[in-house]
Amino acid sequence: MLYVVLFFLLFSLLLYVLLGGADFGAGIVELFSSRKNKLTTRNTIYRVMGPVWEANHIWLIILLVILWVAFPVYFNVIMIYLHVPFVLVLLGITMRGVAFIFRHYDAIVDRSQLFYNWMFRISSLVTPVFLGMSFGALIGGKIILTEDDYTGFTFSELYLWPWFNSFTFLVGIFYAVLCAFLAATLLIGETQGKVRKMFSKKSAYFTITLVLLGFILIAYGYIYEVKFIKDFVSNPVSIGAVILSGLLLIPLWRAIKRQNTLGSRYLAGLQVVLVLFAALYAHFPYIIITAEKEVSLLEGLPPQAVIQNLGIMLLIGGGVILPGLFHLMRSFGMIKIFKSGEKEFENN
Amino acid sequence: MENLDFARLQMAFTLGFHIIFACIGMVMPFFMVVSHKKWLNTRNPVYLELTKSWQKGVAIFFVTGAVSGTALSFELGMLWPEFMKHAGPIIGMPFSLEGAAFFVEAIALGFYLYGWNKLPEKFHWFTGIIIGISGVASGILVVSANGWMNAPTGFDYIDGQFVNIDPVQAFLNPAWFTQALHMTLAAVVATSFAVAGVHALQVYRNKRPDLHKKAFKIAIIFGAVAAFLQPLSGDLSAKDIAERQPMKLAAMEAHYETGTNVPLYIGGIVDEENQKVTHKIAIPGALSFLAFGDFDAEVKGLKDFPEDEHPPVAIVHYAFQIMVGIGTLLMLAGILYFLSLKYKKLFNKKWYWLLFVVLAPLGFIAVEAGWVVTEVGRQPWIIYGFMKTSEAVTPMPGMEFSFYMYLVVYAVLAVTVTWLMRRQIRVLNAVKE
Repeated sequence: MLYVVLFFLLFSLLLYVLLGGADFGAGIVELFSSRKNKLTTRNTIYRVMGPVWEANHIWLIILLVILWVAFPVYFNVIMIYLHVPFVLVLLGITMRGVAFIFRHYDAIVDRSQLFYNWMFRISSLVTPVFLGMSFGALIGGKIILTEDDYTGFTFSELYLWPWFNSFTFLVGIFYAVLCAFLAATLLIGETQGKVRKMFSKKSAYFTITLVLLGFILIAYGYIYEVKFIKDFVSNPVSIGAVILSGLLLIPLWRAIKRQNTLGSRYLAGLQVVLVLFAALYAHFPYIIITAEKEVSLLEGLPPQAVIQNLGIMLLIGGGVILPGLFHLMRSFGMIKIFKSGEKEFENN
Repeated sequence: MENLDFARLQMAFTLGFHIIFACIGMVMPFFMVVSHKKWLNTRNPVYLELTKSWQKGVAIFFVTGAVSGTALSFELGMLWPEFMKHAGPIIGMPFSLEGAAFFVEAIALGFYLYGWNKLPEKFHWFTGIIIGISGVASGILVVSANGWMNAPTGFDYIDGQFVNIDPVQAFLNPAWFTQALHMTLAAVVATSFAVAGVHALQVYRNKRPDLHKKAFKIAIIFGAVAAFLQPLSGDLSAKDIAERQPMKLAAMEAHYETGTNVPLYIGGIVDEENQKVTHKIAIPGALSFLAFGDFDAEVKGLKDFPEDEHPPVAIVHYAFQIMVGIGTLLMLAGILYFLSLKYKKLFNKKWYWLLFVVLAPLGFIAVEAGWVVTEVGRQPWIIYGFMKTSEAVTPMPGMEFSFYMYLVVYAVLAVTVTWLMRRQIRVLNAVKE
C-alpha cells in the first residue's frame, strides 16, 4: 500500500506541476502579451481554462493531505521552516483565484476589470516563483534543523535565508518560465490564424528562456557546490533524462510547426515529466537537504494501518475523480486533446 | 499577547471567514437547482434569470471558499505543526475523503457553469445536484476531524506516544454525528435566511417584487424547516457534551458549583475572578433536565476541575447565549413563514419583508458563535485531554504580522465580495420585465 500512496503523491505532484502550472502560466503569458493581444489572450484563457482551472488546483490539496497523513515527519519540517514562503504562496493563490472569478463573474463590466486583470497577471507570476523558491529551499541545503532547540538562532537564519537566496530565486524563476512554456504550448492548439502564430512565438521564446535558465541553474549549482545539483549532474539516469527532454524539443517544435496540437501537448507534458523525474530520482527519497543532513521522505512513517487506510481512500477517491475529470476535460476546452486531436493525428 | 494568542486569533479568524463561504457554497447550489428545475418545468424565463444569477453567486462563493480552504489546510500545519505531526495520520481518513468530495464538487461545478446549451438539459441539471451533494458531504466529513479533537478515539496513548492507530475508529468518533448534524442544519438555516433576507430587501424596496418573491420562497423554505429541526439537534449535542466534555458544558452555562437540580441561566454577566454569575434569569432544575433528562441529575461545576484546565468561561457562555437566542428567534421566524402560507395577506405587509431583512445576518452570527462555543470551550486542549494548544503551536516567532496580514486581506475580500453581490442584484433589478 505504501507504493499506492507514493504513486498518488507523485501523481498529484505531477498533475499539479503540469495542470496547475499551465494555469499559472496562462496568466504569465497574458502578462507578457502586448497591449493589443492581452484581451485575446484573456478570452482564450477563459475559454480553455475556465471549466477546469479550479480542479487543477485541488491537486495541491490532495498532495498536502497525503503528505500530512502518510509522511508526518517530513510535513512537520516543511511546515515549520517554509512558513514564510508558504504564506506568500497562499496569498498568491488567493489573489489569483478571486481575480479570475471576479473578472469573469462581475455583473457589471467597468474600470474595475483593469484592477482584476492586473491582480490576476501579477499573482500568476508571483505564485509559481514562490512555489519554486520553496522547493529550492528544500533542496538548497540551507535549512537549519534545530532539533527543538531554537535558542541561538535568529529569525532570518531559520526562516528567511534558507528560502530567500540566489539559488532558490533561480529555481523559482525556472518554474515560472516552465509554467509559461506549458501554457503557451497548450494555448496554441486552441486558437487559429494570427492568434495561433502569436502563441507559437510565445512558446518559442519561453522554450529558449527555459533552456537557458536550466543551464544557468546547473552551472550555478555546480560552481557554488549545491549538493543537490552536484549529485544530479553526476547521476547518469538524471542527466540522461534531462538530455532526453532537451532532445524532445526537436520533435516538439516540428509538431508545433505542423500544427499537431495533440503531439505538441504530449511532448511538452513528457518533457516536464522527465525534468521532474530527473530532479527527484537523483535524491529520492531524501527530498529535504539541510546544512548538516538529509531528511528522507520515508522517515518516521506512520503505522501500517494508517498507510493501508489512506491507500484504500486514495483508490476509492481516484476511482470517482479521475473518470469525472477525464469527462470534464473531454467535454470542454480540452476536448481537442483527445477527440479532434486524434483526427489530426490521422490526417497527418 | 504571545505568539500562541496570535496564532489562535489567526486560526479563529481564517476559520470564521472560511465557514461563511463554505456554508453558502454548500447550501446555495440547492436553491439554484430548485430554481433551475422550475425553469425546466414551467419555462418561465424569470426562473432562468434567477438560476443564472444564483449561479454567479455560487461561483464567486465557491472560489472564495476554495481558496480560503486551501489556505486553511496549509495553516493547520503552519500554525500547529506539532498537532499535525501526531494527529495528521490519525485523522487522515476524513480529510482524504473530504478532498475527494471537494474534487467532485469542483468537477461538477465546471460542468454546470460552462454547460449551458452544451450539455443535455437533464444531465446539466443533474451536475447541479452533484455540486450540492458533494458540498454537503465535504462539510460533514471535515467536521469529523473536528469531532475527533473533541472526542479523540482510535489510538492508545502510551508514554506520550499515539500508538495502535485505528483510522476508521478515529473517523467514526462519538462527537461526529451530533456535530455534523448540528453544523449541516446550521449551514442550511444561515444560508437560507441570508439569501432570503437579501431578496426580502428587494421586495421591501419594491424592485421587481415578482422575481424576488419567487427567490425568497425558494430560499426560505429550506431554512424554515431546518430552523425547526435545529433545537432538537442542539439537544442531542448538549446531552453528548454533558457526558463527554462536562467542563465545556459547565463553561457554556457558566456553572461553577457542582449540584443536583441545577438551574439554567439565561443571560447573566460572568465574573471569572470570583467565579460568579450576576444579573441572570435562573430556571430551576432546567440544566439538569436538559443535560441528563432528569430534574434531579447532578451536573458538575467548573470548581470541580483543575483551574488551569478551565476554558475562558465568559466568552463561551456569551457565545452560547447568542447561538441559542438566535436559534430560537429563527425558529419562530420559520413558523411565521409557514403561517404566511396560510394567511397570504402577510405577504403584502411591509413589516413582514423588513423583518426578514433584519434576520438576514443572524444565522451566520449564530454559526460563528457556535464555533466559538465548541473551539474556545475545548481550550486549553487542542486534542481534548491529550495535547494542549500551547504544545502544538509553531516555534516561529512573529505570528502577529501574519495575523494582521490575514486580517487585512480577508477584510478586503469580504468587502469586495459583498460589493460584487450588490452589483449582481443591481443588474438583476435593472432588467425590465
